[in-house]
Amino acid sequence: MNYKAKGIAEQVLIAANVFILFILIFEEKLEVPLWLQPLGRMHPLLLHFPIALLLLALAMEFFRFRTTYASNAFYRTFLTNLLLVSTLLAAVTIIMGLFLAREEGYAGQVLAWHKWTGVGTLWMASLLYWGRQTTWYQVPWARAGTVLTALLLLVAGHYGATLTHGDSFITGPLLAEAEKVPPALEEARVYEHVIQPLFEQKCLSCHNPEKIKGGLLLTDEAAIRKGGKTGKLFVPGNPEMSLLLQRVHLPLDDKKHMPPRGKAQLSAEEVALLAWWVRRNADFKQKVLELPPTDSLRILAEAALGGTSEEQFDFAAADEDLIQKLNDDYRTVAPLARESPALAVNLYNQSTYTPEKLRELNDIRKQIVFLNLTKMPVKDADLKSVGQFENLQKLDLNFTEVSGKGLRELSSLKKLKSLSLAGTPVKYPELAESLRGLGNLRTVAVWNTGLTETEVEQLRKKYPSVRFIEGFKGEKTAPMQLNPPQLKNASPIFGESLALQLHHPIRGVEIRYTTDGTAPDSLRSAVFTSGTVLGQSTSIRAKAYKAGWYGSEEARFEVYRSTYKPDSLRLLLPLNRVHQAEGTQTFFNSTLGTFNANSPAWANHWAGVRDNDLALLAEYKRPVTVSSVTLRTMIEPETGIFPPAAIEVWGGTSETQLKLLGTFKPQVPVKGTPPALQALGGTFKPQTVTFLKIIAKPLPEIPDWHGSKGRRALLLVDEVFVN
Amino acid sequence: MEKEILEHGLNFNRRRFLSTASLGLGSVALGSLLMPNLFRNGGVDEEALAAGIPHFAPKAKRVIYLFQNGAPSQQELFDYKPKLRELMGQEIPPSVRGTQRLTGMTANQSSFPLVGSFVDFKQYGESRAWVSDLMPHTAKIVDDLCFVKSMYTEAINHDPALTFLQTGSQQGNRPSMGAWLSYGLGNENKNLPNFTVLLSRGIGNGQGVYSKLWSNGFLDSVHQGVQFSKGEDPVLYLRDPDGLNRHDRREMLDHLAQLNQLSYEEFGDPEITAKVQQYEMAYRMQTAVPEVLDLSKEPDDIVKLYGPDCLVPGTYAANCLLARKLSENGVRFVQLYHQGWDQHGNLPFEIAKQAMDVDQASAALVTDLKQRGLLDETLVIWGGEFGRTSYTQGTLTKDNYGRDHHPRCFTIWMAGGGIKPGMVYGETDELGYNISQNPVHVHDFQATVLHQLGLDHEKLIFKHLGRRYRLTDISGRVVRDIIS
Repeated sequence: MNYKAKGIAEQVLIAANVFILFILIFEEKLEVPLWLQPLGRMHPLLLHFPIALLLLALAMEFFRFRTTYASNAFYRTFLTNLLLVSTLLAAVTIIMGLFLAREEGYAGQVLAWHKWTGVGTLWMASLLYWGRQTTWYQVPWARAGTVLTALLLLVAGHYGATLTHGDSFITGPLLAEAEKVPPALEEARVYEHVIQPLFEQKCLSCHNPEKIKGGLLLTDEAAIRKGGKTGKLFVPGNPEMSLLLQRVHLPLDDKKHMPPRGKAQLSAEEVALLAWWVRRNADFKQKVLELPPTDSLRILAEAALGGTSEEQFDFAAADEDLIQKLNDDYRTVAPLARESPALAVNLYNQSTYTPEKLRELNDIRKQIVFLNLTKMPVKDADLKSVGQFENLQKLDLNFTEVSGKGLRELSSLKKLKSLSLAGTPVKYPELAESLRGLGNLRTVAVWNTGLTETEVEQLRKKYPSVRFIEGFKGEKTAPMQLNPPQLKNASPIFGESLALQLHHPIRGVEIRYTTDGTAPDSLRSAVFTSGTVLGQSTSIRAKAYKAGWYGSEEARFEVYRSTYKPDSLRLLLPLNRVHQAEGTQTFFNSTLGTFNANSPAWANHWAGVRDNDLALLAEYKRPVTVSSVTLRTMIEPETGIFPPAAIEVWGGTSETQLKLLGTFKPQVPVKGTPPALQALGGTFKPQTVTFLKIIAKPLPEIPDWHGSKGRRALLLVDEVFVN
Repeated sequence: MEKEILEHGLNFNRRRFLSTASLGLGSVALGSLLMPNLFRNGGVDEEALAAGIPHFAPKAKRVIYLFQNGAPSQQELFDYKPKLRELMGQEIPPSVRGTQRLTGMTANQSSFPLVGSFVDFKQYGESRAWVSDLMPHTAKIVDDLCFVKSMYTEAINHDPALTFLQTGSQQGNRPSMGAWLSYGLGNENKNLPNFTVLLSRGIGNGQGVYSKLWSNGFLDSVHQGVQFSKGEDPVLYLRDPDGLNRHDRREMLDHLAQLNQLSYEEFGDPEITAKVQQYEMAYRMQTAVPEVLDLSKEPDDIVKLYGPDCLVPGTYAANCLLARKLSENGVRFVQLYHQGWDQHGNLPFEIAKQAMDVDQASAALVTDLKQRGLLDETLVIWGGEFGRTSYTQGTLTKDNYGRDHHPRCFTIWMAGGGIKPGMVYGETDELGYNISQNPVHVHDFQATVLHQLGLDHEKLIFKHLGRRYRLTDISGRVVRDIIS
């Protein structure tokens, strides 16, 4: 290094030392400008150079007075330059470090140690650099000086590493292995195994005996109960009034928010845990399983204890060909996930089940983790095979024939977590006994079994860590209303007679009905039996009744007798363009329409007229004796669909000589008449005819109460009955 | 068809060429070192994915989606907004409405008065969730449910919104959620279709439900949804024709399969193998379906649980019961649609009826799965395609009003399948118009459902027409906060 450059470097070193001193004195008042922060962040990048170079320089300095080295000119100049450069680098690194330290997130004792040992290193190195040029500087000084500086350097390095990587970074993997033995759920206590670890992770770095921030110590029960400078930490049972949660819930920007900004924050689950712990009176002794299974604190604590990471299995995967072979149409064997050795097995189709189906699984007994046997006729004896599946976690035996005795075979399933027994005839003594060895068991579904409520209660007491699912009990609910009966006849239109088929989907329901227009009741009305035969068009009113239920709403069914269907039919006047239905086929095709027919899209089966009469001419090849004609019409005043003003029936033996047999004038609906589908018309003196003319006249003027008053009404007919 | 044959041949050669080249040439090998995916043509790992094994251990094995078609009003069911009652009849502030587009039905409306719910709400369960009096049975099971009050979608009309929720695209022709799951997970029960569809209709204003919603899109047609109808033949064309016995049927299928195999060898069209598989499944379904549909072994309590309508085919209650039976028998995805939730007008009357239709049976389904120990492995979803506006559509009278479509927020609930029980996620503002906390986009919802079934929504891909397709298209994030 030439002389001039060396001079500059030495002056820079002095300046740097002064600057560092300045920063150290006014540290608290300094604010690092934004543009300098990147420089500070380069501290971790640069620091490795001064460490390595300085160590080398110190080693060389240590041996400097050896004659071989002392006489070597290159050794001397190189050493001087190296020491200068490395000290200068150390100074720069420290300035960066001090900038970095002013950023948020760095505080505490480790930083202080790092800072002062680092600065100490620089000062020692600087002293060495200038001291070594004096005459009193001899071997002992060189030795002591270099060793001390090197030591300071190493200590500074160590604390620096601790700052970045945390304590025990290097031994971490070893320590973690030893530490991470979660307690068995039976033993776990809410405070000791859930809350305390949370404090340790997130709070203890500032609230420990060495560093009691805010006078608060979170290490033991007494200290936690005592609280800090501001007061007690919590009011048992009342998280809203507790300082602990108030601080946690303050906005992150608030100075009093805990943990402070820059430190690891509490997750939502952890906040909930603290809140529920306080709400449950901040108990320091309570075991997790002493809480009821549905308690929020218990659920959160169980989750915290169990961890959420994906489960790892320690057994080898089964042979793929073997799995392939065991798969058939009624038995699926599939891995839980890609690259997972664990297998899920499902059996289907009762008629193909044989115990052999389970025995064949013996080759993969280690790998089966889920087994679903719902509704298979599995007997107690078959469970012997299941008992071999040592890693089984979930077993579904719903609606099988397992009675309880066979459950003993399952006591070897130490990993079993969930057992479903719904719909099986299991009994209390066998079940209570066979669950004994199953330490991992968490849920047992016992709905619809032979167990009584008290027996389930006893099971709960005996196995507090197991959730027993009872499910729905019909007899405990308030009575419900039955749904109305249904008419099952293929068509409500019949020729000579109709074997009435009233039906209700629920077993054991009694249907009571009337045919005389009166309302049915549960006492006087006839009980429907399958032998009921009707000979005339009838209006049936029916209700369903069953013990333990409210009676149904009333159902109304119209059945129509249609004795004489004409051999041919003609329309004498046209139908509406949009209400053509099936043309002349409409009127005797035994097909009825439904509501909503005013929309052309739904007008199937409804023939309609508005501007002219509906005029039909029916012809019979053989004379028939008729005494009544009715037209099934829709009445929906709201949409302008009215019954006809009049129906005329003409009859005779030739087309040209017809006489009026009867005229019927249906009632014009008044305001508020509900929509209805009605057969309109009537009876007249019996008359033998071969021709029948039916005229229905649409209402010429809609009544005054209606929005469309004065307009012609629409007439819709879907069927005609001649008897 | 000729085009497909040509493509098949070309694909085959390109793949073979590239795989040989990548092994043979040094520079190519180096290239693949630098870019590991360089020569992994989509086909290779996608085919591996299609093998039907979850990507990671699933929480849920099956889904039952109770789709409330027509968009139920959240203000009358689950999203309690007392402020709306207070401000009844006042104009919605422009700052709240912002630039939200309107449907053609309210675009010409001159005023947008706010309307509060005609029905009261109460809090239930340990979770203290608010539920309206229209849903008394659902109220009893709130501790098993996770309400998401901050769902939002992009579409404003029924068909695009429904299609978007089901297929991840507003336009259709993409595979439905059930088809994707079938593709990703494979069969649990080889005797039933993986994806079944059940329809029912309430008294309220209805909207169309079309078979494109359960389409397999570009996926293999074995993944298509199969509709179970209410008639004598729940699955159409499943029964053997008169005079054909089971043995003859078997022989016929065997010979047909041989012929099909020949034509597959010639053309390589995967639809041919799909067809053979479908014939085989139909054959096995002939015995499996009657077993599943058999109600005679259901305990009497089940009728009380679901309500007496569960024995009347074609009702929502019957479909819920059937959904449980199908799901219990290993059907991966059971899709229900209940029509009639489109209350543009006459809302108080219609929604009460609709709620009565679905409340008991929906809650019963959750309870029933739970008591069989199946809820933890079955994901139940209840919800519509979007929400409804906080202002009235049409005139507001003392006891009648309507609500228009509202894509900005709506409420759904989920239960089981590893979703956190007893939770309310997300919030809307006090007028129930905008989301104020934790928005969940449709793609987020879809990503979460896939995640619960052990599928990474970014890896469940199918390459089609030169592009990789996902259910979540190019977005979506798993809502981890609601996963237990």
